[in-house]
Amino acid sequence: MRRIGLLLKKDLRILGRSPILVAALIVYPLVFAALVGAVVRYAGDRPTIAFVDLDRLPEELTVGGQTFNVPAVLDQVNENAELVPMDQDEADRKLANGEVNAEIIVPRGFASRLRGMVESPQLLLKTARGGVATRVEQQTQALVYELNQRLQDAYIDANLKYVRLIVEGGTGTFLGNEFDVVGLQRAGEMLTEIEQATKDPEVADRARELSNFVRQAQLALGASDESLRATANPIELEVDTEAGRSWLLSAQLQAYALALTLAFICVLLAAAAIASERDENVIGRLARGLVGLTDLVVVKVALAVLVAVVLGLVIALVFGVLAMVFDVTGGEPWARLPLLALGLVVAGAAFGAFGVLVGVVAREARTAVLVAFLLALPLVLLGLLPEGTVEAARLISKAFPFSHAVDFFQSSLYDNDPWSTLAKEAAWLVGLAVAFGAAARLGMRRLLA
Amino acid sequence: MGTVLALRRGGRPSLSPCQGRRTLKGALLSAKGVSRRYGRIVALAPTSLEVHPGDALALIGPNGAGKSTLLSILASALDPSDGSVTTGTPNVGWVPQKPAHYQRLSPRENLVLFAKLEGVQDAEEVAGRYIGLLDLPDDGRLTAELSAGNQQRLNLAVALLAGPNVLLLDEPTASLDPRQRRLLWEVAAQVRAQGGAVVFATQNLEELERFATRVAVLVGGELVFDGSLEQFKASPEADVFA
Repeated sequence: MRRIGLLLKKDLRILGRSPILVAALIVYPLVFAALVGAVVRYAGDRPTIAFVDLDRLPEELTVGGQTFNVPAVLDQVNENAELVPMDQDEADRKLANGEVNAEIIVPRGFASRLRGMVESPQLLLKTARGGVATRVEQQTQALVYELNQRLQDAYIDANLKYVRLIVEGGTGTFLGNEFDVVGLQRAGEMLTEIEQATKDPEVADRARELSNFVRQAQLALGASDESLRATANPIELEVDTEAGRSWLLSAQLQAYALALTLAFICVLLAAAAIASERDENVIGRLARGLVGLTDLVVVKVALAVLVAVVLGLVIALVFGVLAMVFDVTGGEPWARLPLLALGLVVAGAAFGAFGVLVGVVAREARTAVLVAFLLALPLVLLGLLPEGTVEAARLISKAFPFSHAVDFFQSSLYDNDPWSTLAKEAAWLVGLAVAFGAAARLGMRRLLA
Repeated sequence: MGTVLALRRGGRPSLSPCQGRRTLKGALLSAKGVSRRYGRIVALAPTSLEVHPGDALALIGPNGAGKSTLLSILASALDPSDGSVTTGTPNVGWVPQKPAHYQRLSPRENLVLFAKLEGVQDAEEVAGRYIGLLDLPDDGRLTAELSAGNQQRLNLAVALLAGPNVLLLDEPTASLDPRQRRLLWEVAAQVRAQGGAVVFATQNLEELERFATRVAVLVGGELVFDGSLEQFKASPEADVFA
């Protein structure tokens, strides 16, 4: 144990002698985490969609008396998807190339059908297979849902105008033809006049009967406004945006930042540290009985753990202070620091053990660093894929500590009841650390050759 | 010359605090049928060799003959593919051809670290003693910034920390100036004088004739000769230097 401590102290002293490297160790993963976070967020949420307007939509479109500003509607869509206007040939070509994720086509006659309010006009959506097709479909459905909602309001208003015409009477138009309507109100008055003026009791009875019907109809149609709107939207979604955590301070980004830091720093550091023992020709001297090969693996894993805990807590501190400065709520970044520290230890050990294995296989420090980077990058990206996208990627990702570390950090900082997730992910991380460490120990003799 | 004088003046200078452990009889080091293969390449064919107290055994042979491989195996820094090495004492000092210490530490930090790893008491003091003894720079510079000669002397100092009975030197004087060479051989002579032995690989005929009492010749990974210096001079293997 004393010898492990001596070598660990030596490694930290050597690390501390490269201030530029230490600064890069802190800054690089934070920048990388922000970039990856942004890529993941926008790649997932904002597909590029070609917008093909065959109908040459006007700037303003009036439907049922309601005027739509077409560019404003498209801008609204742009929040969720990037709509790029283009002609159909270009759109088809770009969809085939994969330059756009989908194509929305507004067919000829769309606006006139919409204005006519007699038949539903159609939008055509073309998507590529696989990839983000499902997401694009969802985005487009959301767009059509939004447009339909606004059109429903216009249609309902138009229908209610006719209802009011029937109730109150007046002059109306339908398919371009103008007509006069007496209206239920006036019809009731006329029936009362007939009832009072007639001497024939049979006519008076019928007039009374009709008068009752007119009153009932007036009452029923008077309530049609609410019922029509309720039928169109049985469930209405009210959106209340509160001052929660912004994306920049979200649990997801913090968990990514921590896991990315560890994934790169610990893997690269451990790989370089073990390989440099060979590069400096020292491993033979150590292996002569001064330090066991198992102890050497432990030293490098311990180095990774130590660096992981220090860097991880610094990052958590930065996030916590930012959350306080911007007065954001949600999560318990301070109270859960001990849990986070535990996660940093097990995740650091798993990443470190993987790094030692890479270093043992690569044997030379430069090669080890390059190989570690080349391996860590795709394994991290696999861990960023949302569940359910590519099953094989998810399985491969499970054999690397990144996704487990992300889940652990997220749960430790923000879940109300984190215990089952923490236990599961900690078990994964410890298991991976042991497996990678054992594999590295088996290969340690390579470094002596 | 200060360090050399200090050695002479001391009478029985203490190379290490561990020298009291030297109570060996018979072979200090014994290799039985050790070999080393890298895939199909045989770096060292099965070789048996014993090192006795007072030996100054020179390992000679052309480049790639297996001298460094044999020394690494004797030092337990490399596992043999076959055979075994037994030591009568745990104190074997190894000075590999390529310096084996940390480049990003100073000479003093290296010596203190290795002394502590060797379990030497008063590691700081012992490190200071070897810095003086071998005239090593002690101005805080990193080892990477030192000359090849200084690095080689640090390499020797690290090997001496545990007070070795057997000193294994792999072409130790290659980057040393004449004064430093003399210093090295004086240190080696002290190890022998205290009942130890020195095994050194060399390509230098003058060193062989001046310091060796015994010669082992390796050619193509095989031990082709093992005998006294006089026997070697009379043997056809002496042509290895021709």
